[in-house]
Amino acid sequence: MDQYTILGRVGEGAHGIVFKAKHIESGALVALKKVPLKKLDDGIPSAALREIKALQEIEDNPFVVKLREVFPHGTGFVLVFDYMLSDLAEVIRNIERPLSEAQIKSYMQMLLKGVAYCHENNIMHRDLKPANLLISSKGHLKIADFGLARVFQNDTGRLYSHQVATRWYRAPELLYGARKYDEGCDLWAVGCIFGEMLNSSPLFPGENDIEQLCCVLRILGTPNEKIWPGMSELPDYNKISFPENPPIPMEEVLPDASKEALSLLKKFLVYPSTKRISAKEALLDPYFFTEPLPAHHSELPIPQRSGRKMRRVQQAYEYNIEAPLEESLIDPDILAPHVLKKS
Amino acid sequence: MFPTSTQRKHWMFSGEDDLKKLREKANKKYVDGFGEHLNEEERSEKFLSPTEEYVLLRFYINALREFCVQFQPPMPKYVIGTSMMYFRRFYLNNSIMDYHPKDIMLTCVYLGCKVEEFNVSIMQFVKNLKSNREKMTDMILSYELLLMHELTYHLTVHNPYRPLEGLVIDIKTRCKSLKPEEVDRSRQGADEFLDRVLQTDAALLYAPSQIALSALLSSASKLGINLDSYATEFILGSGTKEQAAKTTENIKSIRYMVKHIPPLDKKEGKKIGQKLEKCRNQENNPDSEVFKRKQQEMLDDEDEVYSRKKQKISQEEKDAEKELLGL
Repeated sequence: MDQYTILGRVGEGAHGIVFKAKHIESGALVALKKVPLKKLDDGIPSAALREIKALQEIEDNPFVVKLREVFPHGTGFVLVFDYMLSDLAEVIRNIERPLSEAQIKSYMQMLLKGVAYCHENNIMHRDLKPANLLISSKGHLKIADFGLARVFQNDTGRLYSHQVATRWYRAPELLYGARKYDEGCDLWAVGCIFGEMLNSSPLFPGENDIEQLCCVLRILGTPNEKIWPGMSELPDYNKISFPENPPIPMEEVLPDASKEALSLLKKFLVYPSTKRISAKEALLDPYFFTEPLPAHHSELPIPQRSGRKMRRVQQAYEYNIEAPLEESLIDPDILAPHVLKKS
Repeated sequence: MFPTSTQRKHWMFSGEDDLKKLREKANKKYVDGFGEHLNEEERSEKFLSPTEEYVLLRFYINALREFCVQFQPPMPKYVIGTSMMYFRRFYLNNSIMDYHPKDIMLTCVYLGCKVEEFNVSIMQFVKNLKSNREKMTDMILSYELLLMHELTYHLTVHNPYRPLEGLVIDIKTRCKSLKPEEVDRSRQGADEFLDRVLQTDAALLYAPSQIALSALLSSASKLGINLDSYATEFILGSGTKEQAAKTTENIKSIRYMVKHIPPLDKKEGKKIGQKLEKCRNQENNPDSEVFKRKQQEMLDDEDEVYSRKKQKISQEEKDAEKELLGL
């Protein structure tokens, strides 16, 4: 802990408080995630273990947040990440005008590269959402918060919890209570995030789990065994039934989106999870190779973290060493009238 | 992926000599620290030698396996493999005189359960102990963080069980000359082989896939089933000559290790165990007064910091209120 100076509080993470801090030796800005341990519980929370486990095995990737180190502190421990200025949720929320197609393409490309990398390493994130996609001060997008991540194994019949993923981004098989699922649930979430950027607001904003399913069904149409083989065997299939409802064409849902965007979006938002386009394949989609091409990261918006308190802290501690020297010099002429002269 | 794993990068050693050196170093560090005032003779009388340490450690390795096998609900094999790996890694850099293997063993299994997503609560976990459940709960939870730190937070373990599944499927698909029943039979023996591997240092020296292959080859040869052509053609054939030679050598060494596990001398184990009680670090003995005092101090510290923080926050709130009211 002596190696860091705390600069302020960033917020509450999935497990514990996150602080902004400076690594004294290198001057690097970092986010410190403090994980407290309460003796009464079952010790180190599984979410923290999963995050460490997933991130330790991943080698450096520009689109996945970097776990710099872990160290014990008091009765708990601290995870050290690269500091990130903002997240995609804020970008979508704060921007005055909607994201341009080139910008959306750029975000999608970075997101897919990160997801492809995780999936190649047999890691499913299980909680992809705009708030977990952090944006660096250079505009780079990095996947974060691996608190629900699991290392998946293709051939074993292990059961997983279906209570994963934030509701709006939860895949239909999870909504139907599936306990055996695959990385397809991440691809559904990617589709939802894509739709949210095109739409400037969430595509399926369900208020509760049942309404969530309604939201999906309203747009994609009521699924049946023909469209979605195996759906009738899902645990909660018999618990709820919905009236027959034809799909609404995506062109009507998102009238402003381009043809290529909709074509790719539709490849993510399909009921059977194995039919969803993989991240690796999606990167080769014509969408990324038609005009306008993905924006350079310098053309992406970088909103400041909101909150009065934070600002003040930043002003108190941060110096912009790259600013031209003249700006920080004081013009003696301005000072002259105020200087008391010795008589 | 094993090739890029922390296991391969940080926890695979080139030979048994490396392991021996590490264990000697851990032993020396403890003896130097606690036996400063003693001469050479007194030291060897009081403290365990690296050899003695390893003899006793092997008893606990067996105890760990036994505990896991008896565990209720039944525990998948990879949980045992992972826990065992944690245990071995921990004692590469720590002396058993510093941390008693009985305590670390249970902590390893508890962490192994969690990391491998074999979800049992601490209550369920200690139900598998005959006595002292409450004390053991405190002990496990207080060592969990230390263990994780000593493992340098490298939690993912690659066990040979999955590669074994893969090899079995691969053989069934590619070797048409073998009957599936024959493959299944050799697989049974391979499971037993992997169980014996737990008693050796093989997991710290060889890749899990090579351990799995050794298990299959050993079991098949015992049954008179010929897998050699599969091994030479499909597995060794894909690399260079040097790689093939290295793999063959590794497989030989693994089979040798498993075949020549030295027997455990109970009498000697008991003697060393008694010696350990006299030279162990009392600060890390949950039964000692020193330990209890230290633990309490740590909790007090934490509480103090917390209450101080709380005080500060409430003072700030009061100040803000005053300001608002124009006082």
